[in-house]
Amino acid sequence: MTKKKSRKIIAVVLAILAAAAIVLGAMNLPQRTGDKGNAIIDALRIRTLLNATGDGVVESYVAIAKKEATAKVKAEGGGMSAIREAVKKAEEETRAQYSNSTTDYSKLDTTALAAAVTDYAALLESYDAIALKAENAYIEENMAAAQAAAKAEREKKIAAGEEVGEETEVSVDMSGFVATAEMTAAKEKADAQYAAVGEALKGIYPVLDDSALATLKDTIEKIVYTRGDDFTVKYDRYMAAGSGEALDDKMSGFMVRYADDLIYAGVGLIVAALVFLFSELLIAKLGIPRVIIGVFFILLCFMCLLYDLSLPTLLSNTLVRMGMNSIMVLAMVPGIQCGISLNLGLPIGLVCGLIGGLMTIELNIPGALGFMFAIIVGGALAAGAGWLYAQLLNRLKGEEMGVTTYVGFSIVSLMCIAWLVLPFRSLKLRWPLGTGLRNTIGLDSSNFAHILDDFWAFKIGSFEVPTGLLLFMLACCGLVWLFSRSKTGVAMQAVGNNPRFAEATGIDVDKMRIIGTVLSTVLGAVGILVYSQSYGFMQLYTAPRQMGFIAASAILIGGASTSRCKISHVLVGTFLFQGVLTLGMPVANVLVPGSTISETLRILISNGIILYALTKSGGGSRG
Amino acid sequence: MAKKNMGEILRNNAVTIMFILLCLGGLAVSGQTVPYVVYELFGRLSRNAFLVLALIIPIVAGMGINFAVTIGAMAAQISALWVVEWGISGVGGFVTAALMTVPLAAFFGFLIGKLLNKMKGQEMIGGMILGYFANGLYQLLFLFIFGNLIPLKAPGLVIMGSTGVANTIDLSTGRGFKYALDGMWKLPFGQALYVVCGAVAVVAIIALLLKKMTAKQTGVYVGVAAVLCLLYQIPAVAAIFAMVNVPMVTFMIVGLLCLFNVGIMKTRLGQQFRAVGQNRTVANAAGINVDKVRVIAIMISTVLAGWGQLIFVQNMGSFQTYGAHEQVGLYAGAAILVGGASIKRATNKQALLGCILFHLLFIVAPSAGKNLFGDAAIGEYFRVFVSYGVIAMALVMHAWGSVKKKKKA
Repeated sequence: MTKKKSRKIIAVVLAILAAAAIVLGAMNLPQRTGDKGNAIIDALRIRTLLNATGDGVVESYVAIAKKEATAKVKAEGGGMSAIREAVKKAEEETRAQYSNSTTDYSKLDTTALAAAVTDYAALLESYDAIALKAENAYIEENMAAAQAAAKAEREKKIAAGEEVGEETEVSVDMSGFVATAEMTAAKEKADAQYAAVGEALKGIYPVLDDSALATLKDTIEKIVYTRGDDFTVKYDRYMAAGSGEALDDKMSGFMVRYADDLIYAGVGLIVAALVFLFSELLIAKLGIPRVIIGVFFILLCFMCLLYDLSLPTLLSNTLVRMGMNSIMVLAMVPGIQCGISLNLGLPIGLVCGLIGGLMTIELNIPGALGFMFAIIVGGALAAGAGWLYAQLLNRLKGEEMGVTTYVGFSIVSLMCIAWLVLPFRSLKLRWPLGTGLRNTIGLDSSNFAHILDDFWAFKIGSFEVPTGLLLFMLACCGLVWLFSRSKTGVAMQAVGNNPRFAEATGIDVDKMRIIGTVLSTVLGAVGILVYSQSYGFMQLYTAPRQMGFIAASAILIGGASTSRCKISHVLVGTFLFQGVLTLGMPVANVLVPGSTISETLRILISNGIILYALTKSGGGSRG
Repeated sequence: MAKKNMGEILRNNAVTIMFILLCLGGLAVSGQTVPYVVYELFGRLSRNAFLVLALIIPIVAGMGINFAVTIGAMAAQISALWVVEWGISGVGGFVTAALMTVPLAAFFGFLIGKLLNKMKGQEMIGGMILGYFANGLYQLLFLFIFGNLIPLKAPGLVIMGSTGVANTIDLSTGRGFKYALDGMWKLPFGQALYVVCGAVAVVAIIALLLKKMTAKQTGVYVGVAAVLCLLYQIPAVAAIFAMVNVPMVTFMIVGLLCLFNVGIMKTRLGQQFRAVGQNRTVANAAGINVDKVRVIAIMISTVLAGWGQLIFVQNMGSFQTYGAHEQVGLYAGAAILVGGASIKRATNKQALLGCILFHLLFIVAPSAGKNLFGDAAIGEYFRVFVSYGVIAMALVMHAWGSVKKKKKA
């Protein structure tokens, strides 16, 4: 009772904090483009400008001092070394004198400068808009030629048997770009305005001469306007330059800058309050691991927002990775349903799929046809291998898990030998020197790289939807679902739930287990092909060894147990698992730069969830 | 009768016999000289035998092969890291590391045991996945805690510009304990043989005088010792062992572990291990605290594995911080199965024989692969395949047997 009460109180406190954060954020966010935001930016901009120009002023003084010193020594009739000495001394003295003197900015009259700079910024912006348009037009015009050149280059390399990586985005060489008349006109206008800015600056620092202004031009231009400016970028730029002093009210500047983060934090707090309030219900409904991983995923989403990482891009990557892994996870379903529990021998199916893919490249079958061919060949091989595998499993009822793991491992290492000796000829597959197939085989547009990903793909902002991949995933899930509703499917599930009862009702237990195992293995073969086409590489040798574990942990995260599962477990589990991994990497890189913590995370989550499932599946307290 | 026995022996030891043939074949094809192979074998035996012997107790206690020995190895590596950090070198360093391993490994073993009690019947796969999981925690510890949150001062442990502990920890510097054990007392093979045979003869005679042995038994021991010494006088035999230098202390410790494994089975605890291993329900009914006994078995095994890993790294002179422990469980498990052990029964003899055969294959496989197929990588993959394959086969055979038994019942 008291526990419940305290939980409610904490939830309410969290909710109040959340409301406060959201209200503050919502009040400050519109200010970015409003008067307040403009005032903040103006103040910061002028200060940064004055700081930078101040450095220029020091340089001017130094130049003057140097000239004077030289003249003086020359007048006295000293030699070169004496001149050098004197110049050095003068420079040091002048620098010491001016660098340490702090300007009292409040006494400077900056109204004229502010007006000039505001106009200058506007002119630079309009010039940049024109330039951007012209550049884009140029790129569009020359793209086709550049692509053709890149493709020819690549084919030449392959023919010579050189290592070729993944196809990179083709970029157009901009060296041939010539400014348009419109651009020059806009540039001239901006330059004229710079002269006005220079006049205003001269009013403040009388020592500045035209040559000093000319050297300062680039610096000032960058301070005033950089491509892609908005409030936050400008604010960060000026703050990094150390101009924070210029703000009278630092707090309000901070509030406006971090208004969006305040809103995110508020929403996050609301979620936290809800989770807290309903934690008991959630844990009862979903189980502890899924709640932990779900909350972790949401936390990662908010951290991405706080660190200004592009959440839509990351979520879109998550979607792709979900699609590419989903079929392998789906392969767990028939296995669990027919009673062989988690099919950790999935690598058997995977290597069959890989052989299918290799044959496609060897025979040079392009595009969708090649992908179909790979699936058919891989599936057929997997069906055969799965049948044999099922024969083995039927003799080991009740002991499948441990055996399947090691059988899978043995097959993978046996295939390592096979990859070395199989008689493939294509140079895309073989090492040009030495024996055996390459470790990773890069797919390209002449094979089936991204064939599903790019099918009907479209973009909403930076959120890319791999339509073909998702459709394929849903189609496969639908087929498995339909199958589980069919007469055979129902019988198969009966065998998985209670083999003795199933036998008593006249179901052929062994046959059902064979069907489930074969189906699982075939889905594994299809799964690795879907994975490879999306990844852009086929990985041979030891790469498939851990994939069975990854698939198994995904379906377990989705809420399946070693004896019960649904299609929804596949989708939820794959999304959560891949989401945590995809979002975890950039967030971890912000926290600990250059670390492999995301890989560690994968190891912990994937094995932790399997351990959890194992503890649930067996073991009484004694005996 | 005798004929039937022969057939049965063949069938029961199929894996061992197959392995002997494989090793002989590999030896013939590899083109390596026998003295070199024997020399390599002794080196490998001295550093691996202890780890393999550490697996026996959990097998007797019915928990199968303890693949969680990797976690004991991790405990040993944590200790080794700190001993290097403190700069305790030589024997002192080794003893410090061994002492430090005890509480660490015992604590880990306690946790492993608790977890494995929740997945009875799935201990082997559970132990293996637990090893993977612990590897994640280990990476967390070595990449982000040691060297970052807890600073390390010893040179070479942390590399500038990268996070965490360096990839290799070198024990051959003035701070390490390379050859701490091996280097203490090394004898050429002949002298070592005389010492061992002499010791055996003396012990046998003392046992006779104390009336613990019959005259016949003593005679056999002394006779075998004498014959071995005589055999060594043949130059051809002596030539085989010409390159071998025996690290006496290491082998003595291995011998002590063998005695420990035999001795503990004669105690009350040992009887409980056996009872639990045979049938948990019956053991429980007999008033044995099954869960507790299983936890103790795993704790002992984990501590022993930690010591085994220390022996391994002092012989190697350095270790891969993030990889040295990964394959420990796999290779030790495969070795004991090759020697004829099952996942229910294992003895010292099987462990040692398995260790010899398994490592013999390791020595000859790469060059045999190279001579047969023109590629050393094939031999490498082949031995990995054999490691997994042997375990898979042992599991299949055991599962097969128990399913058949269930059907009969």
